[in-house]
Amino acid sequence: MATADTWQPAPSLPAPRSERGWIGWARANLFANWLSGLVTVVTVPLIAWVLWRIVAWVFGTADWTLIASRPQQYLIGLYPTELAWRPLAGWLLVSILFGMAAAMWGGAARRIAIGYGAITLLLGILPYGMFHEGVVMPGWIRALIVANLLTMAVGYALGRSSHWGRPRTFVVGGIAIYVVLLVLLTGLPGMEQVPPRQWGGLMLNLILAVSGIFFAFPIGVLLALGRRSALPVVKILCVVFIEVFRGVPLITLLFMSQVLVPLALPENFPVDSVTRAAITITLFSAAYTAENIRGGLQGLHPGQAEAARALGLPGWQVTSLILLPQAIRNVIPAIVGQFIALFKDTSLVYIVGMLDILEMGRSIVQGNVQFADNGRELFIFVAVVFWIFTYTMSYVSRRVERHLGVGVR
Amino acid sequence: MATETAAAAQDATEVDNIVICRDVHKWFGDFHALRGVTTSVRRGEVVVIIGPSGSGKSTFIRTINRLEQHQQGDIIVDGVEMTDDVRNVDAIRREVGMVFQSFNLFPHLTVLRNITLAPTKVRKLPQADAEAGARELLERVGIPEQAEKYPGELSGGQQQRVAIARALAMQPKIMLFDEPTSALDPEMIKEVLEVMKELAASQQMTIVAVTHELGFAREVADRIVMFDEGQIVEDLPPSDFFNNPRNERVRRFLSQIL
Repeated sequence: MATADTWQPAPSLPAPRSERGWIGWARANLFANWLSGLVTVVTVPLIAWVLWRIVAWVFGTADWTLIASRPQQYLIGLYPTELAWRPLAGWLLVSILFGMAAAMWGGAARRIAIGYGAITLLLGILPYGMFHEGVVMPGWIRALIVANLLTMAVGYALGRSSHWGRPRTFVVGGIAIYVVLLVLLTGLPGMEQVPPRQWGGLMLNLILAVSGIFFAFPIGVLLALGRRSALPVVKILCVVFIEVFRGVPLITLLFMSQVLVPLALPENFPVDSVTRAAITITLFSAAYTAENIRGGLQGLHPGQAEAARALGLPGWQVTSLILLPQAIRNVIPAIVGQFIALFKDTSLVYIVGMLDILEMGRSIVQGNVQFADNGRELFIFVAVVFWIFTYTMSYVSRRVERHLGVGVR
Repeated sequence: MATETAAAAQDATEVDNIVICRDVHKWFGDFHALRGVTTSVRRGEVVVIIGPSGSGKSTFIRTINRLEQHQQGDIIVDGVEMTDDVRNVDAIRREVGMVFQSFNLFPHLTVLRNITLAPTKVRKLPQADAEAGARELLERVGIPEQAEKYPGELSGGQQQRVAIARALAMQPKIMLFDEPTSALDPEMIKEVLEVMKELAASQQMTIVAVTHELGFAREVADRIVMFDEGQIVEDLPPSDFFNNPRNERVRRFLSQIL
């Protein structure tokens, strides 16, 4: 026995062998008792069989001509073919941002940029027709797609430079590129105009989602603060707004936006149905975002606001410097979930006659006799496309959470 | 002549007394939390407030920087009367530092940023100056090496010392302590009390502290004020308070906690 003056803590011993390594893992998790072992023995072959059936269908039975023959329509819908250089040029600009992000943040951003570059390269070189069956994709379109790798490299170089590689440049540049993209798609005065009605495909989903997220977030923050405001009029307006937009199905709101919004606006006011749909989706999402952020604010210890006020910080700085950063950080998973829902909901613009990637595909299946049996391939393809984007979003969210140390600090 | 002398005397107390409370009342709903508190604190004085839980002692010191709003009576802090005017309240809060039971450090900011935030935003100090001051304060509270860490990475005692440094960074004339050691593990109480004692010994600082640390009160307080049922039941120098309390309520309280 150790005496009082020579006391030493007992040595830290390694865990028992049976709990380490893959054998230990399998014993603990797959064969812990006879029931668990039985479940393992039954389910593993079942899973293997299902996987085999899927692989056999994807690479054997399935006919992907429907997808491979007209990627243009999935990407940009019925945007005029002879003007396809406009979205392609916009795409080149967007790639700059991916390159920059990879250089500036590394890690997850780099992995996403690599995946993005790989998919872009595949789109550029895979042997499919870009327009219709039998029409070979012109070399200049392939060249413009592959050129995205070059603009990514340009972005990477920018991100590495100490002058350009700042978050502020990235955000300002991102907004500028986005505006240029929208102007380019519509056409400058004097150029041939392509109204948003003719936009479509995945491009439309992404434009609606990016605009929606970009505006829904700040509007949601303001609504959340308004709902907690001490001013009764502000508070009531925010509560009514939030509860109306949360209480009515998005589809109903989309129909209403087409019928009711024109009533509220002067005649011939230049707001087309797509913009109206975009505004509706944004406000719908903002209402949910507001409730998420309000939840985050409610979850903060009241001592945080007290300490900030006791230091003499004015009210708006207490909110903007102390409360909001913590509240938003705590509800990142919920907000990203909301934005994933927003992205998926962009498909609902089919209601106002827009051809997003899903509706575009559906109309191809229904409008072509030779594809009548290919619905399965189409919907799986569309599902995978959506999943790639939503999974990327939740991946980014998890990385950001880890970076900010949610639950640790 | 007589009225002039009285006015002069009044002025003298106004200058002398950094905190003046006259018949302060506070209700939470129907609960009468402060029932006519009248007292004052001289510049440089160390006042320790004790009393059973629910006696209104925390509520009282929170009215001094208006974390609680009193509904009746006057509170004058450093010559500024506490009114609904936001400018008065902000002016008072700049001069009054506060340390909380639950530290209330900002968990999303580093220790250094916790301390420099108010000086840069409220006093408009340049960031470099504020940082130099912050590092000096961290030195003073004995944890200069923790400047770049986040509050969650520190022990409770270290966090409370950062909280004290954060309050001191505004160069307040008064420091309020609201049970600063009640949330700490026993071995960390001492390190926080040491910092408070050093502060009390500096003579410059006026301190009003709610605490259950009677040893601290006996050692550094100029006065001990006991609250019960929202009123001041006793107000004596520590030697009298502990050795020959006149009030029966004080004797009962002391017998319960000693």
